[in-house]
Amino acid sequence: MKREKGYTKKNFLKGIIAENPLFVSILGTCPALATTKTIEAALGMGILFTIVLICSSVLVSLLRKVISEEIRTPAYIVIIATFVTIVKMFTNAFLPELFSTLGVFISLIVVNCIVLGRAEAYASKNNVFDSFIDALGMGLGYTLAILSMALFREILGTGAISFGKIFYFIPYFKLQIIPKNYALSIFQNPAGAFIVFGVILAVIAFITNRKKEYQAYLARQEKIRKAEEAKKLAAQKVAEGGNK
Amino acid sequence: MSKEISLVIAIVVLVALLGIFLITFVAYRKTPLPKGCENLKADDEKCAACSNTECAFAKKEEEK
Amino acid sequence: MNIFISFVLAIISSMLIDNVVLSRFYGICPFLGVSRKVNSSLGMGIAVVFVIILATLICWPLYNYVLVPAGIAFMDTVAYILVIASIVQLVGLFIKKYSPSLYKSLGIYLPLITTNCAVLGVAQSNTDQGLTFLNSIANAMGTSIGFLLIIVTFSCIRVRLESSNTPKAFKGLPIALICAALMAIALVGLQGLFSGIKL
Repeated sequence: MKREKGYTKKNFLKGIIAENPLFVSILGTCPALATTKTIEAALGMGILFTIVLICSSVLVSLLRKVISEEIRTPAYIVIIATFVTIVKMFTNAFLPELFSTLGVFISLIVVNCIVLGRAEAYASKNNVFDSFIDALGMGLGYTLAILSMALFREILGTGAISFGKIFYFIPYFKLQIIPKNYALSIFQNPAGAFIVFGVILAVIAFITNRKKEYQAYLARQEKIRKAEEAKKLAAQKVAEGGNK
Repeated sequence: MSKEISLVIAIVVLVALLGIFLITFVAYRKTPLPKGCENLKADDEKCAACSNTECAFAKKEEEK
Repeated sequence: MNIFISFVLAIISSMLIDNVVLSRFYGICPFLGVSRKVNSSLGMGIAVVFVIILATLICWPLYNYVLVPAGIAFMDTVAYILVIASIVQLVGLFIKKYSPSLYKSLGIYLPLITTNCAVLGVAQSNTDQGLTFLNSIANAMGTSIGFLLIIVTFSCIRVRLESSNTPKAFKGLPIALICAALMAIALVGLQGLFSGIKL
């Protein structure tokens, strides 16, 4: 088996940083903007999304030799829809508060570009373990991304972090960070979601641009250094030729 | 009695729906592009939001 | 007459007040992706209008007359996605065979409409909220026309943003998102438009 060392680690980490589905590939934005009003809802959405992604990736990878070439996409859609229905029923039974908060967006995991995209691009071509790691990385990356958005929206919008309403097995606590009078309630509105998303993307673009500029700077320094060395070598040769 | 009948009808409808879905999918892939449309290109502004890696218009990576 | 007026008002309120993209967050992926040129967003919007109305016309009776009497109402998600994908493929088949010019302008979007959150979202929320048939149709029409309106407006703005002098980190998508935020704030001003009307 030709596998470079550390492939699994790279596979896992690429879903979190290098190819983060929300901030780099800009996929799955509908739930990211709609469910990030509170941190709890975002966490719930992320967990459900990761479960659906892992289950469907593993099943698609198991069946990749069995499904014929032409009905691949319909088959994937049916597999994903089945898992979403199962997850929806479990959520309705065990976490009813999460079900009523997320509403339609649990069903919308079916048409989430990330799940279908990962199934077609990766799980249909790799074995089960790699697909599992890839799905885990992507799901974790997506969860972290929407958690960060929800963090900004909730802290700036209400000034407090509250926990325990949806996940009822954790005792309810509320941590007021900014006094309520100074909280900007626009971040709890739809407009605030767009603003937070846009600013985060701008920050990431800024960092990426700086990195690129630094690499270009390093490359230029390297070229200058090489040119000077070549000049020195040529000067040495001329001096030797003159001495002879 | 009518509950069982409605269940049977519902299952028949769902299976028929699945059949229609598969048939239309395969038929759509198989019908040739109308003349004049063979050279439509992708990857301009229309395809930026798509995650469909199986799209018929996507530039083939090996031919680039 | 009352029914007609309430129908029209329901359409207008789904279109503007509780706008599908800027307030309910349904069709964001194509909203951000396809809206760089006005022509492509017009094409996308019209295709979405057609698909949403057709999908609601089929999904609502499917849920209420087939799935619920049989007691398998939980299969609604699977059934709806099958219906929507079949509609999209059928429409594509039709266009491919009989109208090459339409295929040239709309053909590329058809696979994208299947994964459009708005179509499945409207179909699902119609039955989740238990709306009547007429209300579902009004919701569908309002949603789709609202989507068309917003995506065309947004693309007109975005075309002008391309040539303006934005900071380098904000170029492209971030500044477009800030503009969408401003549009959302503008629409908040219309809230409560129909609250005083008694029918």
